[in-house]
Amino acid sequence: MGVSESQIPSHVPTRTSRRTFVKTAGIAALAAGGIESILSARRAPAFAQGTKLHWVRWVDFIPESDVELKRQMPEASKALGAEVVLETINANDLQPRITAAVQSGAGADIFNFQYNWAHLYQNAVVDVSDVAGTLGKTEGGFYEIYPPSCSVNGKWLSVPHSIIGNAVAYRKSWLKEAGASEYPKTWDEARKLFAVLKKKGKPYGQTLGHTFGDAPTFTYTMLWAYGGAETDKSGKKVVLNSKGAVDSVKFMQAFWKECCDEGGLAWDDTNNNRAFHAGEISATLNGASIYIVAKRQKDKIKDDKGEPMWPDIDHAPLPAGPAGAYLLFLNQSDAIMKYSKNVKLAKDFLTWIHKTENYEKWFKSQEGYSVGPTKVWEKNPMWATLDPPLKMFRTAAQNTRLFGYAGPSTAKATEVFTKYIITDMYAKGVQGMSAEDAVKWANGELKKIYEA
Amino acid sequence: MVIERRWKRWVYFYIPLTVFVIGTLFPFYWMFITSIRPDAELYRSWRAANNAPFWTLHPTLEHFQDLMAKTSFPHWLWNTFFIACASTLISLFCGLLAGYALGRLKFPMAGTLGTSIFVTYLVPPTLLFIPLANIIRTFQLGDTPWALILTYPTFLIPFSTWLLMGYFKTIPKELEECARIDGATRFGAMIRIIFPIAVPGILSAGIFAFTLSWNEFIYALVFLSSPEKKTVPVGVVSELIRGDIYFWGQLMAGALLGSIPGALVYSFFVEYYVTGLTGSVKG
Amino acid sequence: MSPKPITGGSGGAAGIEVALPHPGTSRPAGLTRFLESERLLAALLLSPTVILLGLFIAYPFVMGVWLSLSNTSVGNPGTFVGIHNFVKAWNDSIFQTAFRNTVFYTFWATIFKLTLGMWLALLLNRNFHGKRIVRASMLLPFIVPTVLSTFAWRWMFDPTFSVLNWLLYQTGFITTKLPFLSDGTYGMWCAIVVNTWRGMPFFAISLLAGLQTISPDLHEAASLDGANGWHRFWQVTWPLLKPVTLVVVVFSVIQTFSDFQLIYVLTGGGPANATHLLATYAYQIGVATGLLGEGAAISLFMLPVLFLVVWLQLRYLRRLEGV
Repeated sequence: MGVSESQIPSHVPTRTSRRTFVKTAGIAALAAGGIESILSARRAPAFAQGTKLHWVRWVDFIPESDVELKRQMPEASKALGAEVVLETINANDLQPRITAAVQSGAGADIFNFQYNWAHLYQNAVVDVSDVAGTLGKTEGGFYEIYPPSCSVNGKWLSVPHSIIGNAVAYRKSWLKEAGASEYPKTWDEARKLFAVLKKKGKPYGQTLGHTFGDAPTFTYTMLWAYGGAETDKSGKKVVLNSKGAVDSVKFMQAFWKECCDEGGLAWDDTNNNRAFHAGEISATLNGASIYIVAKRQKDKIKDDKGEPMWPDIDHAPLPAGPAGAYLLFLNQSDAIMKYSKNVKLAKDFLTWIHKTENYEKWFKSQEGYSVGPTKVWEKNPMWATLDPPLKMFRTAAQNTRLFGYAGPSTAKATEVFTKYIITDMYAKGVQGMSAEDAVKWANGELKKIYEA
Repeated sequence: MVIERRWKRWVYFYIPLTVFVIGTLFPFYWMFITSIRPDAELYRSWRAANNAPFWTLHPTLEHFQDLMAKTSFPHWLWNTFFIACASTLISLFCGLLAGYALGRLKFPMAGTLGTSIFVTYLVPPTLLFIPLANIIRTFQLGDTPWALILTYPTFLIPFSTWLLMGYFKTIPKELEECARIDGATRFGAMIRIIFPIAVPGILSAGIFAFTLSWNEFIYALVFLSSPEKKTVPVGVVSELIRGDIYFWGQLMAGALLGSIPGALVYSFFVEYYVTGLTGSVKG
Repeated sequence: MSPKPITGGSGGAAGIEVALPHPGTSRPAGLTRFLESERLLAALLLSPTVILLGLFIAYPFVMGVWLSLSNTSVGNPGTFVGIHNFVKAWNDSIFQTAFRNTVFYTFWATIFKLTLGMWLALLLNRNFHGKRIVRASMLLPFIVPTVLSTFAWRWMFDPTFSVLNWLLYQTGFITTKLPFLSDGTYGMWCAIVVNTWRGMPFFAISLLAGLQTISPDLHEAASLDGANGWHRFWQVTWPLLKPVTLVVVVFSVIQTFSDFQLIYVLTGGGPANATHLLATYAYQIGVATGLLGEGAAISLFMLPVLFLVVWLQLRYLRRLEGV
């Protein structure tokens, strides 16, 4: 502990205790670091403690939002007194990273969770009821989808972040040419309309492949639209093999053949965006990214007349089946891992990120692609400034279900989801299996999982 | 008769060779064209009248520039090169020693040990990466290149050992005997006589080891997290496939640039290797 | 006259080989005597390998086996469940599909790679202008990182933008797009094509090296005896190439059977599991679904099959060179 007299700089009065000296020097270092960090968003500020908080998120489909978040990191670092690092990786790579981190007991402190991963990783994350509870209270309550997906046994295991809505993006002029002044409200109407359009070489396009975004939002909702369900309310009995499910598969078989781009079996979450931008399909269920990107790259994405495509794009809600219209949205949340050494810091960070002034900046950069976790964000003035086609995403999160319906969305429902059983049920039906057999197969697979 | 021979040469040699060359290199041509094609053309429909997939009238270097400037691609290139070289050296070292021991020395359990080294090759990485994550953490190697430099040899060593074992077995014992009669120790004979003869084998094992390390994906994905520390395969895939959008131009540019070091290594060593091989085995 | 090693007994000292004195040299002392012993030298030489492999494969492998015998899932330490995971996998229809796919894929890809690789090696074995460049360029598919070249292929097979479809369409061979990756059967064959494209250089270069060791005198002698090209190949070339071929085939089979990257990038296992392989399915179960125990069990199913294939080939190899 020896700081000899000769080492203390001459301008520091020697009667000052060492403690004050160190404190002053420390504060000076902090201040210097803080100012520098504002000046250069890229360089990580140097802090006395060396604590690092590592946040991993998916690569956002709206690149500008990631830029905004990365810009916020130095601010957060300054506010919290530790270095905060944001890493963005491909959504498909989130799970291997989480798995390796949990199993080896070391890795990022906060991971971005999707859907109901809180159930899947419930024993590896920290109880965040304090953060989530406060957030919910101050902002007027979370959407209904969050408690079942992010809390387990009454404890919040991940902090809700945002919900990505989806709707059908379509080409207004093409539908008008085919005689539709607005998007069909039921699946039967849609079938008639798109059969006409497919004959003109402008089919409906959707994926039935193994994707985490577009395929489930299309297939699960089709099942629900016809009254099908995976389990009963208790979540213990598998009820998939029902008339509703068989009817939905039968419909899908007809719709696929008559109306869809049959290459969709090999599509991933990006193919429909690209096909739409290239003018290959007339409509597809997707998030708002098709419109947003078309507008942002208006000189690259043109229609067949050479004009920018974006004014011709509009959105409509998913059509209804006999049992109604239901939606499945991708809800995002953040979870703090148990092995983290900075749990308190992580909680403070999540509170900071959700502070209105910080969250709002991110929210605005999304331009409607996601909605906030709570209803208060529906009132945000940003919605008024958006283009009309994006306005409908404002109330997107209000009427959604999660997989595992009608039972609670537990780890078993996630297993069904990650095994793509429901999606494959339709893929098999569309490839030649009879509807009854496809449903029977899926039912059997579900039974193995739920009643093992 | 001369005309007949020429006809035969064309049918049996030139035409098949040309087909092979076209078939093998066509994807590279395609990658090249995509990497110099402007974005507007990349988004065009296949039925558009002016669709020209095989050439472009507006070549641009913007993808390459974006790749080098806006991503950490130069870092990735260096990381991958460093990791590949280090793993190759380690596996060659181990493989050389082990190959010699198994190929020329007699000792109990030689057969069993040889087989068990080989059997480790059968264990798939998709099984290993979870328990390995634990070990990496214990040694605190996470997010460092050493995590990969020490784990890559696990699939490189068995192959190097086997290749070199084969080489060593074919070298006649007399060479060593003569050297030892002349006064050399066994160890000295090993280093001074036997190893130089096996240089072609060492080179080919080295080439394959380098390639396999360069190509590896899953360990690199799981054990590295900072963007500047990533390797080329992982970095390109994670940074250039942003959700809805594949930056095809940059992806292909990355693929081409990412193959250059490997191609250089090969072109340098393959020459050496082939001539060395034909030279050494005569007689 | 080679010195005979005197060995015998068990335990350290008795195993030391005593070399007969060579004319002109004195008894080697200390360290060199240590290095003279075959056994100890072998132990020394093998130690780096054994340590590395032991630490980074043997130990994780044992842990992996434990995983497969337990019901561990991510974040939840498991309890021993015996062969429950294996039974569950065996009865799983997706697993059965993946198993069949893997066998099919490996079988056809290996046959193609061997035939084409052999043919290419024979072609490259001749002298012609530009030999060096052609030889080097043939290796490119093997050099390019697999992930990236597979993406390029995926782009070429793309359902909407496929250049191959365009080509076939313009030249009049087809009138509607071929469903390269959207159809199960097509998808599997496309994967085989990409695997062949990528792996053929490995076969070609190894077989080429083997060919170069065959003295041209043998060929001359054979052709003087009246054998034509085809006969010369089967009677002279092929028997001498068998050892090299076998080694290359063994390694290729192992790699192909446990292939992960190619399918993961090209099709993700789709459509509807038609191209799922054991490795990709194990990954999906272990990581995406979080059921590590079951994923490990699926991975382990590969082992007996590989072991059998490899053991048969090695026995054959040993018969060839042993005698």
